[in-house]
Amino acid sequence: MSVQTEARPVAVAAAPKPPPRKRWSRYRSRTFYAFVAPWLIGFLALTVVPMLYALRMSFTNTNGISDKARWVGIDNYVEALHDADVLHSLYRTGLFTLTVVPLTVLGSVLLALLVNQPIRGKGFFRTLFYLPAIVPGVAAALTWKLIFDKDAGPANGVMELLGLDPVTWLQDPAVSYVLLSLMLWGIGGGMLVSLAGLQDIPKELLEAARVDGAGKLRVFWHVTVPLLSPILLFQVVTGVINALQIIAQPMLLAPSAGGVVSAAKVSPDTNMYMVHVYAQYFTFGRWGYGSALLWLLFVVVLVITFLVMRLGRRVVFYNVDPDSQGEKG
Amino acid sequence: MMSIATGRNRARARKSGTYALLIGIAALFTSPFAWLLITSLKTERSLGAFPVEWLPEPFAWENYRAALDYMPFLGHAQNSLVIAVIQSTLMTLSSAYVGFGFARLRGRGKNLMFGVVMATLMLPHVATLIPTYLIFSKVGLVNTLWPWVMWGLSGSAFLIFMFRQYFVGLPIEMEEAAILDGCGYFRIFFKIFLPQAKPMLATSLILSFTWTWSEFLQPLLLLSSDRTTLAVALATGYQTPQGAPINNLIAAGSTMYVLPVIVLFVLLQRFYQAGSATSGLK
Repeated sequence: MSVQTEARPVAVAAAPKPPPRKRWSRYRSRTFYAFVAPWLIGFLALTVVPMLYALRMSFTNTNGISDKARWVGIDNYVEALHDADVLHSLYRTGLFTLTVVPLTVLGSVLLALLVNQPIRGKGFFRTLFYLPAIVPGVAAALTWKLIFDKDAGPANGVMELLGLDPVTWLQDPAVSYVLLSLMLWGIGGGMLVSLAGLQDIPKELLEAARVDGAGKLRVFWHVTVPLLSPILLFQVVTGVINALQIIAQPMLLAPSAGGVVSAAKVSPDTNMYMVHVYAQYFTFGRWGYGSALLWLLFVVVLVITFLVMRLGRRVVFYNVDPDSQGEKG
Repeated sequence: MMSIATGRNRARARKSGTYALLIGIAALFTSPFAWLLITSLKTERSLGAFPVEWLPEPFAWENYRAALDYMPFLGHAQNSLVIAVIQSTLMTLSSAYVGFGFARLRGRGKNLMFGVVMATLMLPHVATLIPTYLIFSKVGLVNTLWPWVMWGLSGSAFLIFMFRQYFVGLPIEMEEAAILDGCGYFRIFFKIFLPQAKPMLATSLILSFTWTWSEFLQPLLLLSSDRTTLAVALATGYQTPQGAPINNLIAAGSTMYVLPVIVLFVLLQRFYQAGSATSGLK
């Protein structure tokens, strides 16, 4: 035994591709598990277990406190699909997602193109555009709430200067636009991702296309966009998933009377799906029903991710063989 | 002659057009910061003035003092700091450790597990937080630091990926020489690879510190109002007994809450860029 373990390292150094010795590979694989253990245990305990816990609750009518919880089968799921409030929140969330994702992705790419030009001060502008993206969500929401304050906010100040009537921005329907402004303020993160993608495009490719007589717009459509598509897809997927589970921003934009941030005061138009779920748990104590709603979201996210990835394989052009970084063990 | 001149003029016009656009967008992006500062310096009278007072006269610097005193700002700041330091330190070490495993070691199920790591990037985190909170409250972990210790120890999928990418790129010779000397992988990691990864460690520390400092729903659910972080306290603390928001104090408090994040960013920008370069996930 000991002979083998000692002999092995020499073999590594001597031959470029040594035959894997059983003992050594067993050591290596055991060490591998020791290294990934923190993540694996954390994933099981802090993600899988809570999800299964919610799954079990979703088949009961538990409120978390009384012991009288009953098994109700799929009743919660059936109710969810007929619940007008759920359907309304789904509709608003869908509308929000379909608005905010294209706007943010498009905006981030346009900003990236703008600051990717060979001009003086581009680093300064990059920093400036990225800055709002690192502002903590709470502070960003509170700031936009100040801007759109009905009486003291500059938004209505500008309306006044233009001779227009003041708008109660923080109520329906205008609050949707406030939410949108808040989200668009943070596109600096997407800009950096797009910028990294733009800078990875080989310059020779762009020049070759230009030499072949393609106009700027054609080069953009036929060279830049395809080469950028993996990054666009990544932004769309993460954008959709983040938009579907938006919760903090609508809650923070709602009037916060009595020192509590609650889902109950969120206006109907920004009553997104997760806000509604949150209210089921913490306003109405319907843990079972809320858990069913959570699982519906999990399934929707899973399906969307799967579909986009499938679609992506057909539409997206990978410059680098996606398998090439897979296994280097 | 003529055509060269117009060409040059056109290029110049294009350039000034670009600059005009950049400056316009920059004004749009920075004006919320400006309004936050302006509001933080308004007196109560100026807040209620109609039409809107664009510049407060005089500046009410005492708002910052008042924001510290109206609610226990520094106490909440301390809570935020403790939680952020604990979580970011643990998360960075753990992610580097796990990332090394994925980069340099082999074991059955490795590809599947790495796939799961990447998939958790897509998982709706807000949705898993609620049942996690319910479990924590059942086992008595609410109002303790343990949730952040556990989240920290289990690492972050994003950072694991970042470290994995970094460690995959290091030359194999580093490992082989150490193995010849009789080192095991733990010593290889702690003595050779971890010290090599200093820039990545800094990036990871800064990113995870900022995430935790900014996190809102976790402390909202898991901590009582006296132990909560600045993020939650800001949204709930500056209100009159009748429940009306006190906007100038909210603005002053928010400014003091945001400032460390911005200072950190401006001083350590290059580390943020290292992080965002990986986040393209190609």
